[in-house]
Amino acid sequence: MCEGNCENCKNQKVETDPKRRSFLSWSVGAINLAVLGGIFTPVIGFIGSPLRQKPKDDWIDVIGQDEIPVGATREVRFKAKVVDGYQTVTREYVVFLKRYPEKIVAFDPACTHLGCRILYKDDQKKYLCPCHGGVFDEDGKVVSGPPPRALTEHAVRIKDGRVFVDRRLTDAT
Amino acid sequence: MPHDVLSPEEPVVGKHVKSEQEQLVADRPSIKDWTDLRLGWWGFVRKNLDEPMPPGVGWWQTLGNLLMTLLAFQFVTGLALAMFYSPGTESAYLSVKHINEGHPVGLFVRGLHVWGSTLIVCVTVAHVLRVFFWGSYKKPRELTWVVGVMIFNVILGFSFTGYLLPWDQKAFWATTVGTRIAGTLPVVGQGLMTLIRGGEEVGALTLTRFYAIHIMVLPAALMGFTALHLYLVRRHHIAGPVVPQKGEPVKFYPNQLFKDAIVVLLGVGILAYMSLSMPPSLEAIADPTGADFAPRPEWYFLGMYELLKIMPAGWEVLATAVIPGFVTVGMLLVPWIDRAKSRHPAYRHWTIVAGTAVILMIGIMTLKGILETPPEHKAAHAAEKVSVGTPEVTPVPRLESGR
Ligand code: FES
Repeated sequence: MCEGNCENCKNQKVETDPKRRSFLSWSVGAINLAVLGGIFTPVIGFIGSPLRQKPKDDWIDVIGQDEIPVGATREVRFKAKVVDGYQTVTREYVVFLKRYPEKIVAFDPACTHLGCRILYKDDQKKYLCPCHGGVFDEDGKVVSGPPPRALTEHAVRIKDGRVFVDRRLTDAT
Repeated sequence: MPHDVLSPEEPVVGKHVKSEQEQLVADRPSIKDWTDLRLGWWGFVRKNLDEPMPPGVGWWQTLGNLLMTLLAFQFVTGLALAMFYSPGTESAYLSVKHINEGHPVGLFVRGLHVWGSTLIVCVTVAHVLRVFFWGSYKKPRELTWVVGVMIFNVILGFSFTGYLLPWDQKAFWATTVGTRIAGTLPVVGQGLMTLIRGGEEVGALTLTRFYAIHIMVLPAALMGFTALHLYLVRRHHIAGPVVPQKGEPVKFYPNQLFKDAIVVLLGVGILAYMSLSMPPSLEAIADPTGADFAPRPEWYFLGMYELLKIMPAGWEVLATAVIPGFVTVGMLLVPWIDRAKSRHPAYRHWTIVAGTAVILMIGIMTLKGILETPPEHKAAHAAEKVSVGTPEVTPVPRLESGR
Protein backbone atom coordinates (compact mmCIF):
# COMPACT_ATOMS: atom_id res chain seq x y z
CA MET A 1 0.00 0.00 0.00
CA CYS A 2 1.21 3.52 -0.68
CA GLU A 3 2.34 5.04 2.56
CA GLY A 4 2.98 8.48 1.21
CA ASN A 5 6.32 7.59 -0.34
CA CYS A 6 5.34 6.87 -3.94
CA GLU A 7 6.42 9.13 -6.78
CA ASN A 8 3.05 10.84 -7.04
CA CYS A 9 2.82 11.55 -3.34
CA LYS A 10 6.33 12.90 -3.10
CA ASN A 11 6.09 15.24 -6.06
CA GLN A 12 2.66 16.69 -5.50
CA LYS A 13 2.10 20.43 -5.40
CA VAL A 14 -0.26 22.35 -3.15
CA GLU A 15 -2.51 25.19 -4.26
CA THR A 16 -0.83 28.12 -2.54
CA ASP A 17 -2.81 31.12 -3.78
CA PRO A 18 -5.11 31.71 -0.79
CA LYS A 19 -7.82 33.41 -2.85
CA ARG A 20 -7.99 30.64 -5.38
CA ARG A 21 -7.81 28.07 -2.62
CA SER A 22 -10.77 29.47 -0.72
CA PHE A 23 -12.74 29.97 -3.94
CA LEU A 24 -12.24 26.34 -4.82
CA SER A 25 -13.18 25.03 -1.40
CA TRP A 26 -16.30 27.19 -1.15
CA SER A 27 -17.33 26.06 -4.62
CA VAL A 28 -16.96 22.42 -3.65
CA GLY A 29 -19.15 23.04 -0.61
CA ALA A 30 -21.80 24.87 -2.62
CA ILE A 31 -21.88 22.25 -5.36
CA ASN A 32 -22.20 19.46 -2.80
CA LEU A 33 -25.08 21.25 -1.10
CA ALA A 34 -26.82 21.74 -4.45
CA VAL A 35 -26.39 18.07 -5.31
CA LEU A 36 -27.71 16.97 -1.91
CA GLY A 37 -30.64 19.35 -2.25
CA GLY A 38 -31.30 18.02 -5.73
CA ILE A 39 -31.60 14.50 -4.38
CA PHE A 40 -33.38 15.10 -1.12
CA THR A 41 -35.90 17.81 -2.00
CA PRO A 42 -38.01 15.63 -4.29
CA VAL A 43 -37.49 12.53 -2.16
CA ILE A 44 -38.58 14.19 1.06
CA GLY A 45 -41.45 15.90 -0.73
CA PHE A 46 -42.62 12.54 -2.03
CA ILE A 47 -42.27 10.75 1.30
CA GLY A 48 -44.11 13.56 3.05
CA SER A 49 -46.93 13.81 0.49
CA PRO A 50 -49.49 12.03 2.71
CA LEU A 51 -49.30 15.03 5.02
CA ARG A 52 -50.81 17.28 2.39
CA GLN A 53 -53.87 15.14 1.69
CA LYS A 54 -56.93 16.75 3.18
CA PRO A 55 -59.68 14.40 4.25
CA LYS A 56 -62.90 14.85 2.27
CA ASP A 57 -66.32 14.07 3.66
CA ASP A 58 -67.96 10.94 2.37
CA TRP A 59 -71.60 10.39 3.33
CA ILE A 60 -72.87 6.87 3.51
CA ASP A 61 -76.37 5.59 4.03
CA VAL A 62 -76.05 3.12 6.87
CA ILE A 63 -79.48 2.36 8.30
CA GLY A 64 -83.10 3.46 8.45
CA GLN A 65 -83.91 5.88 11.23
CA ASP A 66 -86.73 3.72 12.59
CA GLU A 67 -84.49 0.70 12.94
CA ILE A 68 -83.08 2.19 16.11
CA PRO A 69 -85.51 2.76 18.98
CA VAL A 70 -85.10 5.99 20.89
CA GLY A 71 -82.51 5.53 23.65
CA ALA A 72 -80.96 2.48 22.06
CA THR A 73 -77.41 1.98 20.82
CA ARG A 74 -76.70 -0.10 17.73
CA GLU A 75 -73.45 -1.37 16.29
CA VAL A 76 -73.73 -0.75 12.57
CA ARG A 77 -71.34 -2.06 9.97
CA PHE A 78 -71.10 -0.53 6.55
CA LYS A 79 -68.90 -0.84 3.56
CA ALA A 80 -67.37 2.01 1.65
CA LYS A 81 -65.09 2.31 -1.31
CA VAL A 82 -61.95 4.09 -0.18
CA VAL A 83 -58.75 5.04 -1.86
CA ASP A 84 -55.98 3.20 -0.05
CA GLY A 85 -52.70 4.39 -1.50
CA TYR A 86 -52.40 2.95 -5.00
CA GLN A 87 -55.70 1.05 -4.88
CA THR A 88 -59.39 1.54 -4.31
CA VAL A 89 -60.74 -1.01 -1.93
CA THR A 90 -64.02 -1.76 -0.29
CA ARG A 91 -63.42 -1.39 3.36
CA GLU A 92 -65.71 -2.25 6.18
CA TYR A 93 -66.40 0.26 8.90
CA VAL A 94 -68.22 0.15 12.19
CA VAL A 95 -69.98 2.92 14.06
CA PHE A 96 -72.10 2.86 17.17
CA LEU A 97 -75.31 4.78 16.60
CA LYS A 98 -77.09 6.14 19.64
CA ARG A 99 -80.56 7.52 19.10
CA TYR A 100 -81.58 10.41 21.30
CA PRO A 101 -85.10 11.85 21.13
CA GLU A 102 -83.94 14.72 18.95
CA LYS A 103 -80.84 13.40 17.19
CA ILE A 104 -78.65 10.46 16.33
CA VAL A 105 -74.99 10.35 17.27
CA ALA A 106 -72.39 8.11 15.63
CA PHE A 107 -69.46 7.06 17.78
CA ASP A 108 -66.25 5.81 16.23
CA PRO A 109 -65.22 2.40 17.58
CA ALA A 110 -61.58 3.43 18.07
CA CYS A 111 -60.75 4.01 21.71
CA THR A 112 -59.52 7.56 22.22
CA HIS A 113 -56.58 6.24 24.18
CA LEU A 114 -54.58 4.34 21.58
CA GLY A 115 -57.15 3.24 19.08
CA CYS A 116 -58.14 -0.26 20.12
CA ARG A 117 -61.53 -1.42 18.99
CA ILE A 118 -64.07 -0.82 21.76
CA LEU A 119 -67.11 -2.98 22.48
CA TYR A 120 -70.57 -1.99 23.61
CA LYS A 121 -72.05 -3.89 26.52
CA ASP A 122 -75.78 -3.50 26.21
CA ASP A 123 -76.60 -4.73 29.71
CA GLN A 124 -74.26 -2.23 31.38
CA LYS A 125 -74.83 0.51 28.80
CA LYS A 126 -71.09 0.96 28.61
CA TYR A 127 -68.27 0.74 26.10
CA LEU A 128 -65.28 -1.33 27.16
CA CYS A 129 -61.82 -1.16 25.68
CA PRO A 130 -59.86 -4.43 25.78
CA CYS A 131 -56.42 -2.86 25.66
CA HIS A 132 -55.83 -0.83 28.78
CA GLY A 133 -59.22 -1.06 30.41
CA GLY A 134 -60.84 2.17 29.24
CA VAL A 135 -64.59 2.47 29.94
CA PHE A 136 -67.05 4.92 28.31
CA ASP A 137 -70.72 5.45 29.09
CA GLU A 138 -73.44 5.22 26.46
CA ASP A 139 -73.02 8.92 25.66
CA GLY A 140 -69.37 8.34 24.88
CA LYS A 141 -68.02 10.02 28.03
CA VAL A 142 -65.05 8.49 29.80
CA VAL A 143 -66.06 6.62 32.93
CA SER A 144 -62.70 5.20 33.92
CA GLY A 145 -59.32 4.14 32.63
CA PRO A 146 -56.69 5.93 30.62
CA PRO A 147 -58.66 7.38 27.66
CA PRO A 148 -58.07 11.14 27.68
CA ARG A 149 -61.38 12.21 26.16
CA ALA A 150 -64.86 11.15 25.11
CA LEU A 151 -65.41 8.91 22.09
CA THR A 152 -64.88 10.55 18.73
CA GLU A 153 -68.01 11.20 16.70
CA HIS A 154 -68.80 10.96 13.04
CA ALA A 155 -71.03 13.61 11.54
CA VAL A 156 -74.59 12.35 10.98
CA ARG A 157 -77.32 13.59 8.65
CA ILE A 158 -80.83 12.33 8.36
CA LYS A 159 -82.55 12.49 5.02
CA ASP A 160 -85.87 10.86 4.06
CA GLY A 161 -85.81 8.65 7.15
CA ARG A 162 -82.33 7.27 6.36
CA VAL A 163 -79.27 7.83 8.51
CA PHE A 164 -76.18 9.03 6.65
CA VAL A 165 -72.82 8.91 8.37
CA ASP A 166 -69.71 10.76 7.30
CA ARG A 167 -67.07 8.08 7.00
CA ARG A 168 -64.40 10.60 7.94
CA LEU A 169 -64.05 11.62 11.53
CA THR A 170 -65.11 15.09 12.48
CA ASP A 171 -62.31 17.32 13.65
CA ALA A 172 -63.64 17.31 17.18
CA THR A 173 -60.52 15.44 18.33
CA MET B 1 12.99 4.92 -12.25
CA PRO B 2 13.96 1.29 -12.57
CA HIS B 3 12.02 -0.83 -10.12
CA ASP B 4 14.53 -3.54 -9.50
CA VAL B 5 16.96 -1.31 -7.68
CA LEU B 6 16.29 -0.26 -4.14
CA SER B 7 17.29 3.27 -3.40
CA PRO B 8 19.97 3.59 -0.70
CA GLU B 9 17.63 5.48 1.67
CA GLU B 10 15.12 2.63 1.64
CA PRO B 11 15.23 0.74 4.96
CA VAL B 12 16.79 -2.67 4.74
CA VAL B 13 14.14 -5.33 4.88
CA GLY B 14 14.73 -8.57 6.76
CA LYS B 15 15.17 -11.67 4.63
CA HIS B 16 11.89 -13.30 5.68
CA VAL B 17 9.68 -10.30 4.83
CA LYS B 18 9.41 -9.31 1.21
CA SER B 19 9.27 -5.62 0.52
CA GLU B 20 6.56 -4.32 -1.81
CA GLN B 21 9.20 -3.82 -4.44
CA GLU B 22 10.27 -7.45 -4.23
CA GLN B 23 6.69 -8.62 -4.35
CA LEU B 24 6.08 -6.52 -7.44
CA VAL B 25 9.00 -7.93 -9.34
CA ALA B 26 8.62 -11.53 -8.24
CA ASP B 27 7.89 -13.57 -11.34
CA ARG B 28 5.47 -15.88 -9.70
CA PRO B 29 4.10 -14.32 -6.53
CA SER B 30 2.10 -16.64 -4.32
CA ILE B 31 -1.64 -16.04 -4.38
CA LYS B 32 -1.32 -14.72 -0.86
CA ASP B 33 1.35 -12.20 -1.88
CA TRP B 34 -0.51 -11.25 -5.03
CA THR B 35 -3.79 -10.50 -3.24
CA ASP B 36 -2.13 -8.98 -0.24
CA LEU B 37 -0.28 -6.46 -2.35
CA ARG B 38 -3.54 -5.39 -3.94
CA LEU B 39 -5.93 -5.60 -1.01
CA GLY B 40 -3.73 -5.42 2.05
CA TRP B 41 -6.26 -7.95 3.29
CA TRP B 42 -4.05 -10.39 5.19
CA GLY B 43 -2.59 -7.63 7.26
CA PHE B 44 -6.10 -6.66 8.23
CA VAL B 45 -7.09 -10.22 9.06
CA ARG B 46 -3.87 -10.79 11.00
CA LYS B 47 -4.37 -7.63 12.96
CA ASN B 48 -7.82 -8.77 13.99
CA LEU B 49 -6.77 -12.29 14.83
CA ASP B 50 -3.86 -10.96 16.89
CA GLU B 51 -6.09 -8.58 18.83
CA PRO B 52 -4.84 -8.71 22.43
CA MET B 53 -7.29 -10.07 24.99
CA PRO B 54 -6.53 -8.85 28.49
CA PRO B 55 -6.35 -11.60 31.12
CA GLY B 56 -9.78 -12.46 32.47
CA VAL B 57 -11.58 -12.00 29.16
CA GLY B 58 -13.66 -15.06 28.43
CA TRP B 59 -17.21 -16.25 28.01
CA TRP B 60 -18.83 -12.90 28.75
CA GLN B 61 -17.05 -11.38 25.78
CA THR B 62 -18.54 -13.87 23.33
CA LEU B 63 -21.93 -12.12 23.18
CA GLY B 64 -20.87 -9.56 20.59
CA ASN B 65 -19.79 -12.23 18.20
CA LEU B 66 -23.01 -14.19 18.77
CA LEU B 67 -24.98 -11.03 18.07
CA MET B 68 -23.11 -10.48 14.80
CA THR B 69 -23.85 -14.04 13.76
CA LEU B 70 -27.54 -13.75 14.59
CA LEU B 71 -27.77 -10.46 12.69
CA ALA B 72 -26.10 -12.09 9.68
CA PHE B 73 -28.68 -14.88 9.96
CA GLN B 74 -31.48 -12.31 9.95
CA PHE B 75 -30.00 -10.78 6.82
CA VAL B 76 -29.82 -14.09 5.01
CA THR B 77 -33.23 -15.41 6.10
CA GLY B 78 -34.74 -11.99 5.40
CA LEU B 79 -33.31 -12.10 1.90
CA ALA B 80 -34.91 -15.49 1.29
CA LEU B 81 -38.25 -14.31 2.70
CA ALA B 82 -38.16 -11.15 0.58
CA MET B 83 -38.06 -13.34 -2.52
CA PHE B 84 -41.42 -14.82 -1.58
CA TYR B 85 -43.02 -11.84 0.09
CA SER B 86 -45.21 -9.23 -1.54
CA PRO B 87 -46.03 -6.05 0.40
CA GLY B 88 -49.66 -5.45 -0.58
CA THR B 89 -52.74 -5.53 1.62
CA GLU B 90 -54.03 -8.68 -0.08
CA SER B 91 -50.81 -10.21 -1.23
CA ALA B 92 -48.82 -9.78 1.99
CA TYR B 93 -51.04 -12.13 3.91
CA LEU B 94 -51.29 -14.61 1.06
CA SER B 95 -47.56 -14.59 0.44
CA VAL B 96 -46.77 -15.20 4.11
CA LYS B 97 -49.37 -17.94 4.15
CA HIS B 98 -47.62 -19.40 1.13
CA ILE B 99 -44.27 -19.17 2.90
CA ASN B 100 -45.81 -20.97 5.86
CA GLU B 101 -47.66 -23.65 3.95
CA GLY B 102 -46.32 -23.79 0.44
CA HIS B 103 -42.91 -25.22 1.12
CA PRO B 104 -41.65 -27.26 4.07
CA VAL B 105 -38.49 -25.19 4.37
CA GLY B 106 -40.40 -21.91 4.11
CA LEU B 107 -41.91 -22.29 7.54
CA PHE B 108 -38.49 -23.10 8.98
CA VAL B 109 -36.82 -20.11 7.34
CA ARG B 110 -39.57 -17.83 8.59
CA GLY B 111 -39.18 -19.42 12.01
CA LEU B 112 -35.49 -18.60 11.98
CA HIS B 113 -36.32 -15.00 11.13
CA VAL B 114 -39.08 -14.62 13.71
CA TRP B 115 -37.28 -16.36 16.57
CA GLY B 116 -34.03 -14.77 15.49
CA SER B 117 -35.50 -11.36 16.26
CA THR B 118 -36.45 -12.50 19.75
CA LEU B 119 -33.06 -14.05 20.37
CA ILE B 120 -31.31 -10.93 19.12
CA VAL B 121 -33.19 -8.78 21.59
CA CYS B 122 -32.23 -11.17 24.43
CA VAL B 123 -28.55 -11.29 23.45
CA THR B 124 -28.41 -7.54 22.91
CA VAL B 125 -29.84 -6.94 26.37
CA ALA B 126 -27.29 -9.34 27.90
CA HIS B 127 -24.49 -7.62 25.98
CA VAL B 128 -25.64 -4.17 27.10
CA LEU B 129 -25.96 -5.31 30.72
CA ARG B 130 -22.47 -6.79 30.71
CA VAL B 131 -20.97 -3.56 29.40
CA PHE B 132 -23.03 -1.54 31.86
CA PHE B 133 -22.10 -3.46 35.00
CA TRP B 134 -18.46 -3.76 33.98
CA GLY B 135 -18.35 -0.01 33.35
CA SER B 136 -16.69 -0.74 30.02
CA TYR B 137 -18.12 2.48 28.58
CA LYS B 138 -15.64 4.59 30.48
CA LYS B 139 -12.97 6.68 28.81
CA PRO B 140 -11.95 6.24 26.00
CA ARG B 141 -14.83 3.95 25.03
CA GLU B 142 -17.74 6.39 25.40
CA LEU B 143 -18.53 6.48 21.71
CA THR B 144 -18.39 2.70 21.39
CA TRP B 145 -21.23 2.64 23.95
CA VAL B 146 -23.18 5.43 22.21
CA VAL B 147 -23.01 3.62 18.87
CA GLY B 148 -24.06 0.43 20.67
CA VAL B 149 -27.16 2.16 22.03
CA MET B 150 -27.97 3.33 18.50
CA ILE B 151 -27.67 -0.27 17.29
CA PHE B 152 -30.05 -1.35 20.05
CA ASN B 153 -32.62 1.18 18.86
CA VAL B 154 -32.21 0.11 15.24
CA ILE B 155 -32.89 -3.46 16.36
CA LEU B 156 -36.12 -2.37 18.07
CA GLY B 157 -37.04 -0.51 14.87
CA PHE B 158 -36.58 -3.72 12.91
CA SER B 159 -38.92 -5.48 15.26
CA PHE B 160 -41.59 -2.79 15.09
CA THR B 161 -41.61 -2.58 11.29
CA GLY B 162 -41.27 -6.32 10.76
CA TYR B 163 -44.24 -7.06 12.98
CA LEU B 164 -46.67 -5.48 10.50
CA LEU B 165 -45.45 -7.32 7.42
CA PRO B 166 -47.53 -10.54 7.69
CA TRP B 167 -50.65 -8.31 7.68
CA ASP B 168 -52.60 -10.56 10.00
CA GLN B 169 -54.77 -9.44 12.89
CA LYS B 170 -51.88 -9.32 15.34
CA ALA B 171 -49.81 -7.27 12.92
CA PHE B 172 -52.53 -4.84 12.00
CA TRP B 173 -53.72 -4.07 15.49
CA ALA B 174 -50.30 -3.84 17.08
CA THR B 175 -49.36 -1.33 14.39
CA THR B 176 -52.60 0.61 14.72
CA VAL B 177 -51.93 1.05 18.42
CA GLY B 178 -48.18 1.42 17.99
CA THR B 179 -48.47 4.24 15.47
CA ARG B 180 -51.13 5.93 17.59
CA ILE B 181 -48.39 6.23 20.19
CA ALA B 182 -46.64 8.67 17.86
CA GLY B 183 -49.96 10.51 17.67
CA THR B 184 -49.93 11.19 21.40
CA LEU B 185 -46.94 13.52 21.09
CA PRO B 186 -47.90 17.15 21.58
CA VAL B 187 -48.09 19.43 18.51
CA VAL B 188 -46.33 17.22 15.96
CA GLY B 189 -48.11 13.99 16.98
CA GLN B 190 -50.90 13.86 14.39
CA GLY B 191 -48.60 14.83 11.53
CA LEU B 192 -46.01 12.33 12.61
CA MET B 193 -48.60 9.58 12.76
CA THR B 194 -49.87 10.39 9.25
CA LEU B 195 -46.28 10.44 8.02
CA ILE B 196 -45.48 7.07 9.56
CA ARG B 197 -48.70 5.51 8.32
CA GLY B 198 -48.47 7.08 4.88
CA GLY B 199 -52.07 8.23 5.33
CA GLU B 200 -54.68 8.60 7.99
CA GLU B 201 -55.32 4.93 8.49
CA VAL B 202 -53.08 1.91 8.60
CA GLY B 203 -53.34 0.65 5.02
CA ALA B 204 -51.54 -0.17 1.81
CA LEU B 205 -49.06 2.68 2.13
CA THR B 206 -48.26 1.82 5.74
CA LEU B 207 -47.25 -1.61 4.56
CA THR B 208 -45.02 -0.37 1.74
CA ARG B 209 -43.47 2.20 4.04
CA PHE B 210 -42.71 -0.29 6.76
CA TYR B 211 -41.36 -2.72 4.19
CA ALA B 212 -39.02 -0.13 2.69
CA ILE B 213 -37.80 0.87 6.14
CA HIS B 214 -37.41 -2.75 7.20
CA ILE B 215 -35.40 -3.90 4.20
CA MET B 216 -33.52 -0.73 3.20
CA VAL B 217 -33.31 2.02 5.78
CA LEU B 218 -32.68 -0.09 8.86
CA PRO B 219 -30.22 -2.55 7.29
CA ALA B 220 -28.17 0.36 5.95
CA ALA B 221 -28.21 2.02 9.36
CA LEU B 222 -27.36 -1.24 11.09
CA MET B 223 -24.42 -1.93 8.82
CA GLY B 224 -23.04 1.54 9.23
CA PHE B 225 -23.37 1.53 13.02
CA THR B 226 -22.01 -2.00 13.31
CA ALA B 227 -18.96 -1.18 11.21
CA LEU B 228 -18.33 1.88 13.37
CA HIS B 229 -18.86 -0.13 16.56
CA LEU B 230 -16.38 -2.81 15.50
CA TYR B 231 -13.86 -0.23 14.37
CA LEU B 232 -14.09 1.45 17.78
CA VAL B 233 -13.85 -1.86 19.64
CA ARG B 234 -10.68 -2.66 17.73
CA ARG B 235 -9.30 0.83 18.07
CA HIS B 236 -9.58 0.87 21.87
CA HIS B 237 -9.29 -2.89 22.40
CA ILE B 238 -11.44 -4.85 24.82
CA ALA B 239 -11.76 -3.28 28.25
CA GLY B 240 -11.23 -6.50 30.16
CA PRO B 241 -12.33 -7.30 33.70
CA VAL B 242 -13.18 -4.56 36.17
CA VAL B 243 -10.22 -5.46 38.35
CA PRO B 244 -7.18 -6.05 36.17
CA GLN B 245 -6.10 -9.65 36.54
CA LYS B 246 -2.65 -11.13 36.72
CA GLY B 247 -1.15 -12.55 33.60
CA GLU B 248 -0.34 -11.63 30.03
CA PRO B 249 -2.81 -10.65 27.34
CA VAL B 250 -3.57 -13.48 24.94
CA LYS B 251 -4.16 -13.20 21.22
CA PHE B 252 -7.78 -13.37 20.08
CA TYR B 253 -6.96 -16.32 17.83
CA PRO B 254 -7.32 -19.14 18.67
CA ASN B 255 -8.32 -19.14 22.36
CA GLN B 256 -11.07 -16.51 22.45
CA LEU B 257 -12.26 -17.33 18.94
CA PHE B 258 -12.80 -20.91 20.08
CA LYS B 259 -15.00 -19.74 22.97
CA ASP B 260 -16.87 -17.48 20.52
CA ALA B 261 -17.43 -20.42 18.19
CA ILE B 262 -18.85 -22.58 21.00
CA VAL B 263 -21.30 -19.87 22.03
CA VAL B 264 -22.28 -19.19 18.41
CA LEU B 265 -22.92 -22.89 17.93
CA LEU B 266 -25.05 -22.96 21.06
CA GLY B 267 -27.00 -19.84 20.04
CA VAL B 268 -27.66 -21.07 16.53
CA GLY B 269 -28.64 -24.47 17.95
CA ILE B 270 -31.20 -22.84 20.23
CA LEU B 271 -32.49 -20.79 17.31
CA ALA B 272 -32.90 -23.85 15.11
CA TYR B 273 -34.58 -25.76 17.91
CA MET B 274 -37.06 -22.95 18.57
CA SER B 275 -37.85 -22.58 14.86
CA LEU B 276 -38.53 -26.28 14.52
CA SER B 277 -40.47 -26.82 17.70
CA MET B 278 -42.46 -23.58 17.69
CA PRO B 279 -43.17 -22.64 14.07
CA PRO B 280 -44.32 -19.04 13.71
CA SER B 281 -48.06 -18.56 13.64
CA LEU B 282 -50.20 -16.61 11.25
CA GLU B 283 -53.52 -15.37 12.49
CA ALA B 284 -56.57 -14.40 10.46
CA ILE B 285 -56.04 -11.69 7.85
CA ALA B 286 -56.11 -8.12 9.14
CA ASP B 287 -59.65 -6.93 9.76
CA PRO B 288 -60.00 -3.27 10.70
CA THR B 289 -63.55 -3.80 11.98
CA GLY B 290 -62.88 -7.07 13.76
CA ALA B 291 -63.97 -6.89 17.37
CA ASP B 292 -62.68 -10.23 18.49
CA PHE B 293 -59.09 -9.21 18.72
CA ALA B 294 -57.23 -7.62 21.61
CA PRO B 295 -54.05 -6.12 20.26
CA ARG B 296 -50.79 -6.96 21.95
CA PRO B 297 -47.35 -5.91 20.82
CA GLU B 298 -44.29 -8.15 20.53
CA TRP B 299 -43.25 -9.32 24.01
CA TYR B 300 -40.37 -6.90 24.41
CA PHE B 301 -42.68 -3.94 23.98
CA LEU B 302 -45.06 -5.31 26.61
CA GLY B 303 -43.37 -3.29 29.35
CA MET B 304 -44.41 -0.09 27.63
CA TYR B 305 -47.86 -1.52 27.00
CA GLU B 306 -48.30 -2.22 30.72
CA LEU B 307 -46.95 1.20 31.61
CA LEU B 308 -49.71 2.69 29.45
CA LYS B 309 -52.35 0.89 31.47
CA ILE B 310 -51.35 2.55 34.72
CA MET B 311 -51.10 6.08 33.34
CA PRO B 312 -53.94 8.36 34.40
CA ALA B 313 -56.14 9.78 31.67
CA GLY B 314 -54.44 12.48 29.66
CA TRP B 315 -50.98 11.47 30.79
CA GLU B 316 -50.37 8.77 28.23
CA VAL B 317 -47.60 10.84 26.69
CA LEU B 318 -45.62 10.07 29.85
CA ALA B 319 -45.62 6.39 29.00
CA THR B 320 -45.36 6.76 25.24
CA ALA B 321 -42.67 9.39 24.94
CA VAL B 322 -41.37 10.93 28.15
CA ILE B 323 -40.30 7.83 30.08
CA PRO B 324 -38.95 5.89 27.06
CA GLY B 325 -37.25 9.10 25.93
CA PHE B 326 -35.64 9.55 29.34
CA VAL B 327 -34.42 5.97 29.39
CA THR B 328 -32.94 6.26 25.89
CA VAL B 329 -31.27 9.61 26.51
CA GLY B 330 -30.11 8.36 29.90
CA MET B 331 -28.54 5.35 28.23
CA LEU B 332 -26.80 7.51 25.65
CA LEU B 333 -25.40 9.77 28.35
CA VAL B 334 -24.36 7.07 30.83
CA PRO B 335 -20.62 7.52 30.13
CA TRP B 336 -20.90 11.19 31.13
CA ILE B 337 -23.41 10.77 33.96
CA ASP B 338 -21.20 8.21 35.67
CA ARG B 339 -18.31 10.36 36.85
CA ALA B 340 -16.61 7.76 39.02
CA LYS B 341 -12.99 7.16 38.12
CA SER B 342 -13.20 3.46 38.84
CA ARG B 343 -15.00 0.94 36.69
CA HIS B 344 -15.72 -1.20 39.75
CA PRO B 345 -19.47 -1.39 40.57
CA ALA B 346 -18.69 -0.78 44.25
CA TYR B 347 -17.42 2.69 43.39
CA ARG B 348 -20.30 3.54 41.11
CA HIS B 349 -23.18 3.34 43.62
CA TRP B 350 -25.56 5.79 42.01
CA THR B 351 -25.14 4.60 38.47
CA ILE B 352 -25.59 1.00 39.53
CA VAL B 353 -28.61 1.78 41.72
CA ALA B 354 -30.31 3.89 39.03
CA GLY B 355 -29.51 1.38 36.31
CA THR B 356 -30.77 -1.53 38.38
CA ALA B 357 -33.98 0.35 39.19
CA VAL B 358 -34.67 0.98 35.50
CA ILE B 359 -33.85 -2.61 34.60
CA LEU B 360 -36.13 -3.93 37.36
CA MET B 361 -38.94 -1.60 36.30
CA ILE B 362 -38.74 -2.72 32.68
CA GLY B 363 -38.38 -6.35 33.76
CA ILE B 364 -41.37 -6.31 36.11
CA MET B 365 -43.58 -4.47 33.62
CA THR B 366 -42.62 -6.88 30.85
CA LEU B 367 -43.25 -9.89 33.07
CA LYS B 368 -46.61 -8.48 34.09
CA GLY B 369 -47.50 -8.09 30.42
CA ILE B 370 -46.40 -11.60 29.60
CA LEU B 371 -48.36 -13.14 32.47
CA GLU B 372 -51.54 -11.29 31.57
CA THR B 373 -53.78 -13.80 29.84
CA PRO B 374 -55.03 -12.51 26.51
CA PRO B 375 -57.54 -15.34 25.87
CA GLU B 376 -59.87 -13.78 28.45
CA HIS B 377 -60.31 -10.80 26.18
CA LYS B 378 -61.18 -13.01 23.30
CA ALA B 379 -63.79 -14.91 25.27
CA ALA B 380 -65.31 -11.69 26.52
CA HIS B 381 -65.44 -10.32 23.02
CA ALA B 382 -67.06 -13.38 21.58
CA ALA B 383 -69.77 -13.27 24.22
CA GLU B 384 -70.52 -9.61 23.69
CA LYS B 385 -70.67 -9.89 19.98
CA VAL B 386 -73.79 -11.98 20.35
CA SER B 387 -75.49 -9.63 22.75
CA VAL B 388 -75.09 -6.64 20.47
CA GLY B 389 -77.10 -6.79 17.31
CA THR B 390 -75.01 -6.11 14.23
CA PRO B 391 -77.26 -5.09 11.42
CA GLU B 392 -75.27 -5.06 8.27
CA VAL B 393 -76.14 -2.52 5.66
CA THR B 394 -75.02 -3.07 2.10
CA PRO B 395 -74.73 -2.05 -0.67
CA VAL B 396 -73.80 1.54 -0.23
CA PRO B 397 -75.91 4.31 -1.62
CA ARG B 398 -74.16 7.64 -1.27
CA LEU B 399 -75.39 11.05 -0.42
CA GLU B 400 -73.66 13.77 -2.37
CA SER B 401 -71.23 15.47 -0.12
CA GLY B 402 -71.95 19.13 0.10
CA ARG B 403 -71.00 21.58 2.72
S1 FES C 1 -56.57 1.84 23.77
FE1 FES C 1 -58.36 1.79 24.92
S2 FES C 1 -57.68 1.96 26.91
FE2 FES C 1 -55.83 2.07 25.73
